[in-house]
Amino acid sequence: MKITRSKLNIIVCTVLGVTITYFLNHHMGYGAIISSGLVGVFSALLLPAPLAGATYTASFVGMSSQLIIPNVFFALTGGLIVGIIIIGTTQIYAGIGGKGGTTAAMASLITRALTGLFS
Amino acid sequence: MEILSIILVSILSGILTYLISNNLKKGPVFASAIVTLVSGIFLPHFFGEFGTSLMVVAACSSYAGMVAVKNIPNIWEMIIVSTITAMLFILASSAYLGVGGRLGTIAALSCFTWIGFKKFVYATNLNVKNTLKYKSVGIWS
Repeated sequence: MKITRSKLNIIVCTVLGVTITYFLNHHMGYGAIISSGLVGVFSALLLPAPLAGATYTASFVGMSSQLIIPNVFFALTGGLIVGIIIIGTTQIYAGIGGKGGTTAAMASLITRALTGLFS
Repeated sequence: MEILSIILVSILSGILTYLISNNLKKGPVFASAIVTLVSGIFLPHFFGEFGTSLMVVAACSSYAGMVAVKNIPNIWEMIIVSTITAMLFILASSAYLGVGGRLGTIAALSCFTWIGFKKFVYATNLNVKNTLKYKSVGIWS
């Protein structure tokens, strides 16, 4: 797979999306729904559509509980994983509501498996 | 009464997201995020402990509302998808708790259920049956 600037942008956005949502959710105590909504609104206002979609998808991973993602470093890993999955599955089921959530669920479960390996 | 409230909130959330996304042309991300954020702020404030469940189902339904017009062409179908979302949410309330993306998966399953049902009805219509490219699954034929 060729690494291009647009793919790197997606990875940067997903890592930031997961980390910010996780921080708002667990460290600032806003809760999963409000954190994801805030990240989604700001990403939709500030970023172009493909990057906003990737960031909003990544924010779903940040909604995970601390049993799944125990700290910010695993949130960064989750962001990287969801970014790779988004890049690999751009054309699959485009336009189906919940596609982002399903991608995020896959990334969360992979991150949980990694958490089990390293902790 | 609680189940009825969950279904009503789900329908409202799904319709609002669909309208903001497609009719107001604000895009699916903004539509879903604003509905999620507003429901996350106001529903627990007005409905207390039960409002937390309503907030989650509103978020779940707003993810289903991100569907494209080519898949769900009108608001009546969106009402059906939102109702399926609410029922799936009630049935799967204890599955994969704490896993990020759980609500989106429920939304995707609801969309697939309705789109699959529509394709099934289309395929069983006698007028279009002979025009289909694939007439069997190809195991024995």
